Amino acid sequence: MKKKLATLEEALEPIRSGCTLAIGGSLLRRQPNAAMRALIRRGIGDLTVLTWANTTAIDLLSAAGAVRRWEGIYAGMFSLGLAPNFRRGVESGRIEVRDFSETAMVARLRAAGQGLPSLPIKTLFGSDIALKNPEQIREYACPISGERLLAVAAAKADFTIIHGYVGDEFGNVQWPIVRDSDDVDQMMAAAAERLIVTVEKIIPHDAVKRRPALTYIPGFQVEAIVEVPYGAHPSAVDGFYDEDEAHLADYLASSGTEAGARAYLRDFVHGAPTHEDYLAKVGGLAALAALDVAREEGGR
Amino acid sequence: MTHTLNELVTAEVAATIADGDLVFVGVGTNGRAFTLAVGIPLAALRLAQLTHAPSASVYWGNLLEPDLSTFPANLRQDSLTRWPAAASPVDVGYKCDMLMRRGFDVSFDSGAQIDAFGNLNITAIGDYETPRVRLVGCLAQPEHFAFVRRPIVMMDLSRRSFVEKVDFVTSVGHARDGRTREEWGLGAGGPQRVVTDKAIFDFETPDRRMRLRSLHPGVEVAEVLDSMSLTPVIPDHVPRTAAPDAHQLALIRETIDPNRILLKV
Repeated sequence: MKKKLATLEEALEPIRSGCTLAIGGSLLRRQPNAAMRALIRRGIGDLTVLTWANTTAIDLLSAAGAVRRWEGIYAGMFSLGLAPNFRRGVESGRIEVRDFSETAMVARLRAAGQGLPSLPIKTLFGSDIALKNPEQIREYACPISGERLLAVAAAKADFTIIHGYVGDEFGNVQWPIVRDSDDVDQMMAAAAERLIVTVEKIIPHDAVKRRPALTYIPGFQVEAIVEVPYGAHPSAVDGFYDEDEAHLADYLASSGTEAGARAYLRDFVHGAPTHEDYLAKVGGLAALAALDVAREEGGR
Repeated sequence: MTHTLNELVTAEVAATIADGDLVFVGVGTNGRAFTLAVGIPLAALRLAQLTHAPSASVYWGNLLEPDLSTFPANLRQDSLTRWPAAASPVDVGYKCDMLMRRGFDVSFDSGAQIDAFGNLNITAIGDYETPRVRLVGCLAQPEHFAFVRRPIVMMDLSRRSFVEKVDFVTSVGHARDGRTREEWGLGAGGPQRVVTDKAIFDFETPDRRMRLRSLHPGVEVAEVLDSMSLTPVIPDHVPRTAAPDAHQLALIRETIDPNRILLKV
């Protein structure tokens, strides 16, 4: 087994402007926000971003003007409303969007994971999602049954970034016993060309070996793994800590205008050159501990 | 015994849930949107289970048959993570497969716009490429309208929302651009009810156009029409939405939502 442990800067170094980036997590869970801030500080831009249901990650990148195109099932701020910077980008025409429904995006991820150019769905007949996206969604007749189907293009990304729970130095990433399974991270990892994982905690390989069934991303799929505690802040990691509602409220208030969003980036991204600086800025470990939730045995 | 609008609607929705139904309810949003998307649907399901449909069950978020006996006042991530349920399928691909295999009987949906034939828009207001308002996308809503047997739309009535033709068809209803959903390639389905704060609508007309099904107590047809930019079919006689009886109200207030969380707004 190859050792995959890296610093955040080392792990993200290969990512270049203009690439296609898949981002894991779902809603206000496990958004790889520490990695997003690091990319923004490097001035990475012109990105095509593929996501499931995304919130803070896509909005941070949008605030920095880093997104050229987004493809996914949802971009908003969950219970807090719309995603202000993303929305502004789309409404101004700076961000191109292609929407996909859940079965369409699942098919896209599975196609990429199976090395196929596309997979069929039956969902989007008559929907503008398909009618306005003929390059990625096309109707055809099944050569076996004759049934009308819609082929959706595989979700190929140059790089994939996922924030997980725990993992070992070889890149094996594990679920906790109790988690919110409303996501597609395992599927996204299997679809990845070059997978970078940040985790709350690096654990001993022996601990991983005691519960192999909890490993949802095996090390051979991973290019680099980085320990980044509170790496999803201000979003939650289920079973570890809750979303930081106060910080999110401040972020949304700042992001009401472009100038406000730039001020936020100045303070919390460019003004915090390392993740440790960021954590200090948002109150330090003592304040963050207030977000912690009771942990279940297993997986750590 | 007097009732609130939310209680009226809860009882009406509960009546549409049959024994053995598998119901999908989403997670999230806040304020009135939470009440419409989560609160009323869960309360209605519980009411159905406790009265006429003991075998009805729910898939909520990615939880199958969650315990709905208590509900926290502030729903944050950890509440969901820890929610007791019969199953938490390994990922959401499981639910997506169930949808495409037509495994669900009822879903609850809402949107920024709905049109005369039940097409729903949660994607963009105005032009798709440079919209006036970019909305959230689509989630699994196109699947609900494509594959679920009896989707129920929960939306408050407004001229901005109830339009002759939506700006973007996220989810296909009963017809669009002169073609039926079957002609577009979909099977049976599409919204069966549109439940609003003034009236209930359905699409049981020869050309599948939205029809006024019942008026809530105290509301007249003129008020309903004034609150819409589309003109629904108006039958000769429009019944009143049935009021919840004392037993239903007691169940809602004492057993289902004693702390008034689900039906808060």
